[in-house]
Amino acid sequence: MTTVLVPPCQAACPINTDVRGYVSALARGDAEEAIRIIRRVNPLPSVCGRICTRLCESACRRAQVDAPLSIRALKRYASDQTKHLSFIRHPLNSYKERIAIIGSGPTGLMAAHDLALLGYKVTIFEAQQVLGGLLSEGIPKYRLPKDIVRKEIEDILSIGIEARTGVSLGKDFTIEGLLKDYHAVFIAVGSQKSLYPKCKGDYLRGILSGFEFLKQIDRGEISLPGQKVLVVGGGHTAVDAARTCIRLGCPNVTVVYRRTLDEIPAGREEVEQAELEGVKFIYLASPVEFSGEERVRRVRFVRMELGEPDISGRRRPVPVKDSEFDLESDAVIFAIGYVPDVENLKEDSLKVDRKGSIIVKDDTGITDIKGVFAAGDVVTGPMSVIEAMASGRKAAGAIHRYFRNIPDKEFDNRVSLRSLDEPLVKLIRKSERQEMRALPVESRKNTFDEVDLGYDREQACREALRCLNCGAGASVDEHCAACLNCLRICPFGIPVPGKENADIDISQCQACGICAAECPASAIHLGSEGKEDLRQEVERVMDSARQETPEIVVIGFYCRYHDPIGPPVENDALYWIARFCTGRLKESQLIYPFEAGADGVIVSVCPADECRFRDGASWVAEHVKRVKRILKETEMGADRLALISDEEDFRGFRQRLETLGINPLRKGKKVGA
Amino acid sequence: MIVAEIKPFEEIMNMVRDRKKVLILGCGSCVSVCMSGGEKQVELLASALRMASNKEGNQITVGEKTILRQCDPEFVQQIQDDFAHYDAVLSMACGAGVQGITQWMKNVLVFPAMNTRFIGLSDGQGKWVEICAACGDCVLGLTGGICPVTSCPKGILNGPCGGNKKGKCEVSPDVPCAWVRIYERMKELGRLDELKKEIGAKDWSKKQRPGRYAIKE
Repeated sequence: MTTVLVPPCQAACPINTDVRGYVSALARGDAEEAIRIIRRVNPLPSVCGRICTRLCESACRRAQVDAPLSIRALKRYASDQTKHLSFIRHPLNSYKERIAIIGSGPTGLMAAHDLALLGYKVTIFEAQQVLGGLLSEGIPKYRLPKDIVRKEIEDILSIGIEARTGVSLGKDFTIEGLLKDYHAVFIAVGSQKSLYPKCKGDYLRGILSGFEFLKQIDRGEISLPGQKVLVVGGGHTAVDAARTCIRLGCPNVTVVYRRTLDEIPAGREEVEQAELEGVKFIYLASPVEFSGEERVRRVRFVRMELGEPDISGRRRPVPVKDSEFDLESDAVIFAIGYVPDVENLKEDSLKVDRKGSIIVKDDTGITDIKGVFAAGDVVTGPMSVIEAMASGRKAAGAIHRYFRNIPDKEFDNRVSLRSLDEPLVKLIRKSERQEMRALPVESRKNTFDEVDLGYDREQACREALRCLNCGAGASVDEHCAACLNCLRICPFGIPVPGKENADIDISQCQACGICAAECPASAIHLGSEGKEDLRQEVERVMDSARQETPEIVVIGFYCRYHDPIGPPVENDALYWIARFCTGRLKESQLIYPFEAGADGVIVSVCPADECRFRDGASWVAEHVKRVKRILKETEMGADRLALISDEEDFRGFRQRLETLGINPLRKGKKVGA
Repeated sequence: MIVAEIKPFEEIMNMVRDRKKVLILGCGSCVSVCMSGGEKQVELLASALRMASNKEGNQITVGEKTILRQCDPEFVQQIQDDFAHYDAVLSMACGAGVQGITQWMKNVLVFPAMNTRFIGLSDGQGKWVEICAACGDCVLGLTGGICPVTSCPKGILNGPCGGNKKGKCEVSPDVPCAWVRIYERMKELGRLDELKKEIGAKDWSKKQRPGRYAIKE
């Protein structure tokens, strides 16, 4: 099996999102390109941009330097900025087979999306009145606004998917029955049955399931559960339930978790937000008894301590002897886990394991009934939205192969780039993670308005520019003359002499492009920039100059890292082209604009000690010096090119340029002709 | 390695001024390594030629090509069809490349874009130093690996002249005396005794031009 080396973020993403690709587009300020890249694999970008568990961020190598890239926030920015655009896709094929999908959560939606795009006739059966599973009912609005979910589901349906709501398996239809009308059935009903600990008094009123509670809130069916709410658990559902209670006006909400903040599955950020809103947290405690008459009034807890790690790798909480304590409470919300609710499946003779999960062959979701597939939580138990989407995708692939008699299973051949070497980490400039703006705490009570407000343009650019462009760096082709110049000039010491050529370790290269600009054999190529990219940009810019016909045309190059949101100087003669570090500008690239008819070229100079790539500023100065010599030798005038650092520099440059007159190569011609 | 540098632009311009179609031919070996005649420099020279010619009102077609070596006929022949499209070739190889094309490509007019300087050694990023005069009668085995023929401006063989001042040559204070270096090196190697032996007169007949060498006698 051939493997593909991908950046760690992409390798970690269950649906193989080209994170680097879309982050790079955002760094260029191109949200449309970013969303196009995201949507190649993900039909729920606005949803994932808000609630994804971001395995990508856990894998991000910038964490070795300072903090991981805020990838989820960037995905959200890309989708928010492009929500006015239509992304309806159409199937390329049309197959006769009809497929029934039971459940419209992330797994079912993803499978429906993929199968419909492949050309199958897909019908979704949803037990609830709304589509989306926990996306629509379960994740609170303040984290995931429902209009966003609705819009993305509508987009998916618009491929040509039929959806029936309010029909449930076992009650309104059976799998056997479906198989008469459909060529395949895909079960993606999730895992919605709450687990309760076996405690004395667990029959009392006021003891609720977290998931049921959140669903009922989303449906507007219930109001405040009590005045003193205890939430038991530490996952997203637990924290969501607690923060929901705060919004309902509950004065006293406490989350009780049996491990510590370090282990809490909801994550530190969620806990911090909950605490800001007034939720209290008690760690290392577990309920043992409920008491009260009819309704719960008091809960007895036992203190826990962390023992040896369990199979999940987390340290197992162990009760501390004689450590019981009581808390008053009139409502207890349990969010300690969920299992598939397969009661309704029993009559359909599907094999189910001890935990209630449907038994399948492997991640293709093939069950022991021909034509019936299952995936998502109903097979594996609860998983994240993105993992559920991935399982839907895998099953869709398996269903397609089943129908089309394609024998081979698809293998995940992705291999992540290795970690950054420690000496290199010390050479990489630190850059602060952009904090997302949030609704003020006082505005969060009594309202379910979205808390996170997203990045603004500047924040998105700055955050995207933190990306280390892993794997998009330099590669050496067969024209390498083995001069070893790259070894001598790399600011990070990455190239080494190989047997015949210089070797550049793609997992460590920082993609500054200095070696490529200096390679005498033009044998070094950057993954992040095509050979002809700049020439094309110059031509594009000259085209627009031709439309506007200013008296003189100056092309300016500036560094995005130094000026993230736009060029440093504005002038009607000036047409800017941005680069990820100007140190990568080759001499020939500084000459292109003159050949294309520009009268002058400037490079905005960055302070040497601020260069993202350490030596970029000194290299661009060297390249400018060399090109000035060529301009002098060819009698074009060395003063047509300059490094400038501010408005005043530019005024001086423009005066000298006016003395030289227009570019002699376009004498009598229009600009750029 | 052969070190060459690009000629002053005006000189190049004067060679090809009247040509309408010029092929700039880079060499992927020594001159790429010394960063003067590889693909990158071909591109730059092409731009410069186009700009200078256009400025003078001459429309010139400039082709760009780089081959692995210009000193072997087989590599040059690989692009023989390309030559037909041009009035002249501007070779960015060392003198060997220019003359190779002259010999092997009968109807091709070749001009040198380079001045071939010396056989050199890398002396840090972007720097090279002459190290071997190709005298044909190597004495490095007797001098601790330091060549008096190249490193001594006078090329003397049997010990220093009287012009050594504090280890520097009288020709230039920037040039270390080759024989002081040889002495120090032989001392380090514990071979000082061997310096007492005369090298004797050098056999300059080995340097007779044109030099020839063949594997088979």
